Amino acid sequence: MLERITLERRAGAGPVRQTAAYTGSLVMAIALSLGVLVAAGVPIGALYQELVVQVFLAPTGQAQTLTAATPMLLVGLSAALCLRLKFWNIGLEGQLLLGGIFATGVALTDLGGPVRLALMLIASAIGGALWIAAPLLLRLRLGVSEVIVTLMMTNIAYLLLQHLLFGAFGDPTYNFPSSPAFDDAERLPRLGFGSVHLGLVIALAAVAAVAWISYRTPFGFASRFAGHNPEAARTVGFNTTWIIVVSVLAAGALSGLAGGIIVAGTEFRLSQQIGLHATFNGIVIAALARNEPLWIVPVSLLIAGLTVASASLKVFYGVSEGVVLIIQGIILFCLVAGQFLTTYRVSLTPIEAVR
Amino acid sequence: MVAPRTQVAVPALEAHGLAKRFGDALVLDHVDFALAPGEIHALLGENGAGKSTLMNILTGLYSPEAGHVRVGGVAAAIRSPGEALALGIGMVHQHFRLAAAFTGRENVRLATGNLPALRGRGRTDAALDHALARTGLEVPLDVPVGDLSVADQQRIEILKALSLGARILILDEPTAVLTDQEGDRLLAMVRRLASSGTSVVLITHKLREVLAASDRVSVMRAGRMVLAARGVDEVSAEILAEAMIGQDAPATLRSPSPPGAVLLELAGVSVLRRGAAAVRDVHLSLRSGQIMGIAGVGGNGQQELAEAIVGLRRLETGQVRLAGADMTGRSVDQRRGAGMRYVPSDRSTQALAPDASVNDNLAAAAVSRGRLGRRMLLPRYIRAHARGRIEAFSIAGVTARGTRPVRLLSGGNAQKVVLARELDAEARLIVVHSPTRGLDVAACRYVHDQLIEAAKNGAAVLLISEDLEEILALSDDIRAMSRGQLSTPTSERPSRREIGQMMLGHA
Repeated sequence: MLERITLERRAGAGPVRQTAAYTGSLVMAIALSLGVLVAAGVPIGALYQELVVQVFLAPTGQAQTLTAATPMLLVGLSAALCLRLKFWNIGLEGQLLLGGIFATGVALTDLGGPVRLALMLIASAIGGALWIAAPLLLRLRLGVSEVIVTLMMTNIAYLLLQHLLFGAFGDPTYNFPSSPAFDDAERLPRLGFGSVHLGLVIALAAVAAVAWISYRTPFGFASRFAGHNPEAARTVGFNTTWIIVVSVLAAGALSGLAGGIIVAGTEFRLSQQIGLHATFNGIVIAALARNEPLWIVPVSLLIAGLTVASASLKVFYGVSEGVVLIIQGIILFCLVAGQFLTTYRVSLTPIEAVR
Repeated sequence: MVAPRTQVAVPALEAHGLAKRFGDALVLDHVDFALAPGEIHALLGENGAGKSTLMNILTGLYSPEAGHVRVGGVAAAIRSPGEALALGIGMVHQHFRLAAAFTGRENVRLATGNLPALRGRGRTDAALDHALARTGLEVPLDVPVGDLSVADQQRIEILKALSLGARILILDEPTAVLTDQEGDRLLAMVRRLASSGTSVVLITHKLREVLAASDRVSVMRAGRMVLAARGVDEVSAEILAEAMIGQDAPATLRSPSPPGAVLLELAGVSVLRRGAAAVRDVHLSLRSGQIMGIAGVGGNGQQELAEAIVGLRRLETGQVRLAGADMTGRSVDQRRGAGMRYVPSDRSTQALAPDASVNDNLAAAAVSRGRLGRRMLLPRYIRAHARGRIEAFSIAGVTARGTRPVRLLSGGNAQKVVLARELDAEARLIVVHSPTRGLDVAACRYVHDQLIEAAKNGAAVLLISEDLEEILALSDDIRAMSRGQLSTPTSERPSRREIGQMMLGHA
């Protein structure tokens, strides 16, 4: 039977209701995700082992999770900076690729001598910032939607990457499109725990720095205030254009840095795979963390654990890697639905009763 | 004016013991209400008294927790606005529900669900023609409503309700957005409707309208009906005011202040909005210690003028000077540094970040001036600053640490947050736009007292308002704005009627 759906805007959800909605969404998301995994053929008994013990409790798994979380911290932070100001950056992957390209460029040209590694990371941040500068400029000057431009810039970045890998950056001794392997001096040092490398420290430092700026400086105050209401921010005298320029460029730099850290910390070469799911990861992490810098840390670990688990699920149970994306999608969907239900009260009335 | 028939006939609409609770608050405490056929029934009450909740129940937006409703003597369960309309209850909200890009005719069709591609087009138009004939209204029906004046939009809302078959018409503060003349015209039209049998509920704040235009009056206070269905000839303005606010309501009167030095000067200010002239060649000068009232119907360039003065909008031509210093081209921040303050008309979109805490909203201006630290900003500085303002302005509804989001405050307290931020010791020019819109009587008086106090302390206040009473009660000097132009200064204080003429651009 057809029903009429009525939406009633709630008078305003207090902190209790919001927390309940967030928790409820998360529980719902976990339940649905487990359902999907079971349906995909993972025995119920193995879920705890695969999703908790293997990735968070066993030392090998912990190391893998931390390594996977390293770039996620940076892209999550990048996404949060943009989303907080309602600058819809859907091009995290493009900025990350540029970061990887710039870092590789420094490595392959042997620039910088003893500080080459530092130069690679700085270059990667510059690459990411440059890549977001174009959509930023278009948005501020001409009002062009950054959604479209950042998204398309990712395609351009990917084509540029291919162009370089099949040309100037290509490794002639290797059959796959990738750059030559980096020298030892171009690799981030390991920290003595599996494949965990210095990039983790850099990423955590970035999180701490953004958290500090957000909550302990006038600029951070202004950007949070402008995020809530840019018009009110202008009324009290904040320069919202400046806030957006700085935050968005910083976000681009963080995504670029993620690319630099991937090539210098885990891959040791530039390949086509480095940008995999960066945009989606970043947005899901930022959404789950509600754009709060410090929350990015646990959320990144969670998503990283899921990614690591998916690798073994694929090996042992033949579950496609795509299941991670499905689960992330479920989480995002549940969060958005939870947000919607805290804003509106939904009621269904059968059409019969209306007539 | 109470016709005897109102006592004998079956009421058009009756409510018994309606109760509604939001969270812990009983916003409607077993309220009775009766509307006679063909009467104009004024419903008075402060904001938050429960008028809107009552009407929202009668129009099916809310469902009551207790009590029942009868329409034409028959028990009715109204579960949606659609059902309310089917029973002949139509409402014209304060904020119109019109699609701006559509014409009046299209809006009516949209509301009836008889879209052009579907059947019933002729019927809708016939109903509309009938409504036009009954009301005697003349409205351009084939122009996008976004291009029409507020008064015309309101007429279309009324026509829409009537075309949908409303025999009971609820008007929510219909004259709030109109000039006095337009308001009088509206009330005359409502009278014609009533004499042809339509029952009208007139929600209003204006005692004058109650006494002049209605048959009976009911007053609500704090969720209760404190004065039920009394004939207007049995009541006086004093009785109504007392029922409404529960105490004497002396008009805030200012003793004229000695004018100080010229503080604000506007010379030939013109402002564009989307390429069209919104403010044309405005000249004015305002001395410190003075309150200048700018009357006018909303949308005549007041917003643009205010924004141009405080630096939120670029001037096309002209100059803004503060205490002799040219401010043209200076940033908002620089102007605030020179002592300019702004209380915009729309609290939640222009002045406050509703989801941010009370503390942050109070501290924002000080933070932007670097007053709480240029490099470092510690949360306790913000808290300390905010606590002082919360106490000074007795802002209620804030949690102990001030972390509650502003959106959870009542309108009056939210406006206090804005005032507490803007009316600091260094404020020299305060541009205030409709500062009491949507506030209850007590909150209005508080706002007025604060403005008077600020002027007494030597600040200049530019009060832009659509509320003529407010302008008359507070201003030393009164001007009006019409189609972007400011009326010429008058040597004597203009009368209510003259101001109305000025607002319509006739003077």
